[in-house]
Amino acid sequence: MLDAATPGTDKPRKLVEITDLKMHFPIRSGLLRRHTGDIKAVDGVTFDIYEGETLGLVGESGCGKSTCGRAILRLYEVTGGSVVIEGRDIAALGPEELRKTRPTMQMVFQDPQASLNPRMTVADIIGEPLNEHTTLSSKEKLARIYELMDQVGLNRAFANRYPHEFSGGQRQRIGIARALALNPKFIVCDEPIAALDVSIQAQVVNLLEDLQDKLGLTYLFISHDLSMVRHIADRVAVMYLGRIVELSPRDDLYEDPLHPYAKALLSAVPEPDPAHEAVRQRIILQGDVPSPANPPKGCNFCTRCPEVQPLCHQQDPDLIEVRPGRYVACHFVKPEKPTAGSTGGIEAKERNQQGERR
Amino acid sequence: MTDAATIQPPRSQWADVWSQFRSHKGAMLGLFVLSLLVAFVFIGPLIWRVDPTYVNPDAAKMIMSRNKPPTLDHPLGTDQLGRDMLARMMSGGRVSLAVGTVAMVLSMVIGSFVGLMAGFYRRLDGPLMRLTDMFLALPLLPLLLVLMMLFRDALASSLGPEAGTFLLIVMAIGVTSWMHAARIVRGQVLAIKEREFVLAARSIGVPSRRIILRHIMPNVISSVMVAATLGIAGAIITESVLSFLGLGFPPDFPTWGRLLYDGVEYMQLYPSRVVFPGLAISLTVLSVNYIGDGLRDALDPRIRGR
Repeated sequence: MLDAATPGTDKPRKLVEITDLKMHFPIRSGLLRRHTGDIKAVDGVTFDIYEGETLGLVGESGCGKSTCGRAILRLYEVTGGSVVIEGRDIAALGPEELRKTRPTMQMVFQDPQASLNPRMTVADIIGEPLNEHTTLSSKEKLARIYELMDQVGLNRAFANRYPHEFSGGQRQRIGIARALALNPKFIVCDEPIAALDVSIQAQVVNLLEDLQDKLGLTYLFISHDLSMVRHIADRVAVMYLGRIVELSPRDDLYEDPLHPYAKALLSAVPEPDPAHEAVRQRIILQGDVPSPANPPKGCNFCTRCPEVQPLCHQQDPDLIEVRPGRYVACHFVKPEKPTAGSTGGIEAKERNQQGERR
Repeated sequence: MTDAATIQPPRSQWADVWSQFRSHKGAMLGLFVLSLLVAFVFIGPLIWRVDPTYVNPDAAKMIMSRNKPPTLDHPLGTDQLGRDMLARMMSGGRVSLAVGTVAMVLSMVIGSFVGLMAGFYRRLDGPLMRLTDMFLALPLLPLLLVLMMLFRDALASSLGPEAGTFLLIVMAIGVTSWMHAARIVRGQVLAIKEREFVLAARSIGVPSRRIILRHIMPNVISSVMVAATLGIAGAIITESVLSFLGLGFPPDFPTWGRLLYDGVEYMQLYPSRVVFPGLAISLTVLSVNYIGDGLRDALDPRIRGR
């Protein structure tokens, strides 16, 4: 985990390379259902995921996190861009080739109740991927199902039960077992803990971490729970309105967020220590998130940014590497040395606060 | 954790379904009544060996034996030509049950197929549902009459009068009664298609046809079941309407619906003429309904075992 957190020294292999991924949903209106616009749920996202790491993807509701995760697995037909997993462009594969690539990438879903077919037993659910992609005999298949159930900590005797007979955490374990069935390399965890109780969240996250250590998995961990992402992720990407605004190693991001949106987002994390909580300075953003159907001109964040400048309304900033391994999409976060006008002062203050906490 | 001996291998789901079905009292009663009816029409004629079309050639005796109330010789009485009602009920039931079942199965198959396709494939939705609307808007009885007029003789000459008429009636009823099932199924499919487990199946790489068969079909089957049980009754009645209009089976060929219509004229004088065929149709419908109810519960694992 820690090697991945210090990129630049010994870079591990890139497993997933996402370039300019776009997922637009058409808006049809009027009597003739004419195409009148697009919901730009994911609008030009570029990032890489290294083998064996956990990349956290955070952002507020509706910013396109889940859509991004699903588009990467091509559960939607993407509008543009490429997703290269192990040298193959998932976004451009034909149906049969795509089917054959499915075993390398799997998904754990948000709602464990809805993601399991209520009319199938646990054995059927976990065995379904095996049916689709392997030619095991029924005995071998059963052995593999039991092995998977052991791996995720489910009692083998539950194999004949139906999803409604389980608690939320157990259901999520079934979902994880199904995702593991084909020995995938890359798993998209789409808010796997959002629907669970806090005590169960820890169990599931620990299970995910154990499995990662044992099986060498790579995760894209989508969540809006910032403290959980801090716990599990090696690097964190912050999304806002369909774009990535900052992508940094976890510790750097939580210590010293560079992008104004990342600062605001992380300032909302509550502090367990009441003394610190009392002095915590929240950055409260004004206004609402603009509609993804009609994003503002220039920087997507310009309508709410506390540090907005005239330039922001005109030019769209690119995601550039401003520090080693840290990518930020802001005109006023310049590469090298923290400088540049108004942002400098606030950054300095932030760091002081962090210093006091130590 | 648990030692291997206590772990049961995956049971067959049908064993579960059957054990749940057995615990549903109404369904078991329905199954019992339906098997009685089936035995009555198929095994009955082997025991009660009276020709259902026998009319006493002696006119005086024939007139004497008309419209008899139930006696030992004729347990259900006789009709207006002195024919034995019990024998007529038996041979009529065979046709009615066969028409009801086959027509119902046909209409459910067409309806579910159209509904599944329309619900699952967005591109087919418009055309298929407009087709369904078109069929719903057709005046059914005139359509059936035209169908009968056009094809009855051709089919009768190639398959024989009874088989030809049977096939034609079954097809006609099936083809004109699938629309409600299609609409119900489409609505359900649209809802289930958006559930996450379908997305999960897609992420595993399950092809569309198996998603439909394995994930969507089992979840819409309960509503199809309800439509199907009602469909049997509808088919039996429609067949009798056709026969009554002289476009179904030949007039001397008994079916339950036919017997009912024949008896209507005499209802006030000889109520038993109406009561028995009516009772048979009602019992069939009721028992099928209960069986459907039990099956629906048995197929749903959430209700099973409660």
